[in-house]
Amino acid sequence: MTGPAPVRVEKALGLLPELEALEPLRALLVSIARPDERTLWSSSGPYLTLGKRGVHPDELRRRLPQAFHRIAEHVQALYRAYVEALESQQRADAAGAVSALLRGGRLEEDLRRFTQARAWYDVALRVAEGLQDRRPEVESLRALGYVCLALGQYADGARHFQRSLALAEAEFDQVGATGACEGLGDAALAQGQWPGAQAWYNRGLRLADAAGDAARAGRLERQLGVLARKQGDLAAAGDFLRRARERFESDGVAVEMARVLSEQGRLDAQLGRHDPASAAYREALAWSQRGERDAGLELSIRVNLAELDLGTGRLLEAEAELRRAEQVAIGGNVMHRLVQVYTLMGQLRGAQGDETGFVFFEQAIELAKALDRSLATEARVYHAYGLFRGQLGQNDEARAYLERARELFDSLGEAAARERVEAELRAISA
Amino acid sequence: MTSPLGMSPSPPSADQRKEDVALLRILVVAGEGGGASGLLQNLRQWADDGRLELDSAPDLPRAVRQLAAGRWDVIVAVLGEHPDDDLTWWLDTLRGVGGNPRLIAVAQAPSMGLVLRAEKSGVLDVLSLPLRRDELMRALERVRSAATETAVPLPAVEPQAVGPYALVGQSPAMLDVYKLLARVAGSTATVLVQGESGTGKEVVARAIHLNGPKATGHFVAVNCAAIPENLLESELFGHEKGSFTGAVTRKIGRFEQAAGGTLFLDEIADMSLALQAKILRAVQEREIERVGGGETIPVDVRLIAATNRDLKEAIKQARFREDLYYRLAVVTIQLPRLAERGDDLLLLTAYFVRQFAERYNKRIKGISDRALELLRGHAWVGNVRELRNVIERSVIVAGDDTLRAEHLPEELRGEEAALTDRPQGGLLTLAELEARHIARVLGHTNGQIGAAAEILGIHRNTLTRKMKEYGL
Repeated sequence: MTGPAPVRVEKALGLLPELEALEPLRALLVSIARPDERTLWSSSGPYLTLGKRGVHPDELRRRLPQAFHRIAEHVQALYRAYVEALESQQRADAAGAVSALLRGGRLEEDLRRFTQARAWYDVALRVAEGLQDRRPEVESLRALGYVCLALGQYADGARHFQRSLALAEAEFDQVGATGACEGLGDAALAQGQWPGAQAWYNRGLRLADAAGDAARAGRLERQLGVLARKQGDLAAAGDFLRRARERFESDGVAVEMARVLSEQGRLDAQLGRHDPASAAYREALAWSQRGERDAGLELSIRVNLAELDLGTGRLLEAEAELRRAEQVAIGGNVMHRLVQVYTLMGQLRGAQGDETGFVFFEQAIELAKALDRSLATEARVYHAYGLFRGQLGQNDEARAYLERARELFDSLGEAAARERVEAELRAISA
Repeated sequence: MTSPLGMSPSPPSADQRKEDVALLRILVVAGEGGGASGLLQNLRQWADDGRLELDSAPDLPRAVRQLAAGRWDVIVAVLGEHPDDDLTWWLDTLRGVGGNPRLIAVAQAPSMGLVLRAEKSGVLDVLSLPLRRDELMRALERVRSAATETAVPLPAVEPQAVGPYALVGQSPAMLDVYKLLARVAGSTATVLVQGESGTGKEVVARAIHLNGPKATGHFVAVNCAAIPENLLESELFGHEKGSFTGAVTRKIGRFEQAAGGTLFLDEIADMSLALQAKILRAVQEREIERVGGGETIPVDVRLIAATNRDLKEAIKQARFREDLYYRLAVVTIQLPRLAERGDDLLLLTAYFVRQFAERYNKRIKGISDRALELLRGHAWVGNVRELRNVIERSVIVAGDDTLRAEHLPEELRGEEAALTDRPQGGLLTLAELEARHIARVLGHTNGQIGAAAEILGIHRNTLTRKMKEYGL
């Protein structure tokens, strides 16, 4: 007497038109999806992906008021931001209007509605451009820069940060200039331009130190640590991270501590120090729990931990950690990150020589197209998929997926990634 | 008994008795404020009498550092304002810690829901603030008693190798399976293997293949439930390049891959009716067509299908084709649940312990009586697959030559915790019993309230009210 079976997510989503107004419903549906208890120990259990989870329509119906409430709250907050902007305008307080408009954009960004956020920031910038005080313009440009990075529009992002920096320097706005340098470094890092990123972070660090801005200096040192690790200068990376950690630990900034420790784990892993890496990730998780819940951060740390286990052949632990990461992505409404989780799941099955692991890559590609909408993400999945097929001796398929990855990296101008794929294609042909 | 000097041994002094009690290393994790203040001071006072070595950490992140730096027997963690969340983090943290320290969670007025969750997760105890000495000592006594486990040698096992797997077991239920398997293997008849999840359907299918006339051909397994519905057809029958988005190359399907061998279709009940029709055609006509291809390709395969569902019920509900069922179920083999296999549990345990000890380079020769008791008492809904998983996880964490209760996963240890050391002589109040049963049913339905209410035979509003009442 257990009632009707749940509807599979793959079928449920097939019934849902691709409309923006239905996005919250899509998110709700996915967040309440659970593995069918009958599959827990079945032979298909290890291959369970989001699409195979089940949803009960009655539970969805029951949760609808919560969803409506959240939507109403968000819309109310947006409307209030607009009314505040209008009131500021009435008081001839244009800076207040910019601030309210930027808040509207941030509210949209929090829900990953980047295009909508950009629209708010565009209006904020237009208002700010008419002001004598240039700081609101500096801030609007920085906000626009980051939303462009989130949309994968790196060149546009860099252009906004560049303008923000020029204005901040002209106005002797040290905080604004530091923020712009950080943004320029992030834009360069996202495009794989490491020397450029390093130069911007260093410049930002000097400014932050001069202004006594410990929090931003710590962040910049962490980013410099990331860069040094990527460039293979592991001793320098260790120094940067140690200094970042010292800055944050004294202030007890939990989220930043978690980020630094997660990066420390990656550095230790690269140094082949697996136990310290694992300890750093575990401590990072503990810090992430102390701050405000940041599902994206928690998921990143868990994925790092799983990668460490995967690299050291602890496949059982890697799988368990990935399943926890999957749950964080679903429960924490960061579903687009499932792409990364499923790609790693596929790699794990590849390491076991398990052909059925292809289901994870197929699901990752589907989610990359539907939720992440980032070509870079899609390219990375195809790259991993190609390697998986190659591992199983399916060279024709491996070549086809790697060629697709090369094509995508090409279109994005990601030269280093393209070169790696090219080398793998040559190896297959040889 | 007398001493060598002919004198009766004197009773051990209080100091000697203290020496005999194992020293426990305890990490106390409590902040300064709230009801936790004074806790550490109290513990330090009790430590001397109780052979306890104490250290402290102000919060979880700092505790993680200390856990990585040394070995601890017990963690006493004061949960904060969100005890459920805190407990989750503690359980997650301790998963990665060496030495398997046990957790005592301390909370301000813990709810019954918290207690049940903690028990289920293998937490040693949940104590309320202000902490009472007798309650803490009773919990610690349980840690010490673990040291009295007796090792039982692992019995010899003669597994029947089946490729990378093995058939293990001598129970009457399994002997019947072996007999049927031997009779059917020699033919090329289509076989339907039925049984609950984890009972070994694929191993039996492989055994039929290896002992049959097509043993020199390939054994190709397809898990129909694992593959997305839109890809399953091309996976089974193959496709031509460009026949649909994503068909990047021509693909040879599993039917063709299995030519001259055996095709094993696992979890066949999960297939759509449209695909069932295509399978029926392939079975009847012994030919297939690739997706997007016009050519008819003859296939010579032995088909073995498996399911954990009741296919006859699925036929009644029009979810499974009756004609396909009769094509597949020429011979049916029903596999028993692990619970029906008696002492096979011990043989399988021994087999898996040896297998994983070799894989993970461990020297495990025995299993403790208490661990064995916990294994015997478990429900094993996942049957042999679940047992294998439990043993693998346990072997990974085992440090000496005996697999002990402490090496078993928290869920199994939790089952023991739920039954021991109840202050009223092991008896539950009616409310406790009701809360436990509701929690159990909710666990069974994966938290689905509607389904749980149906099982419990109460209205869902009543269930929701009771869940609130018990903090579930």
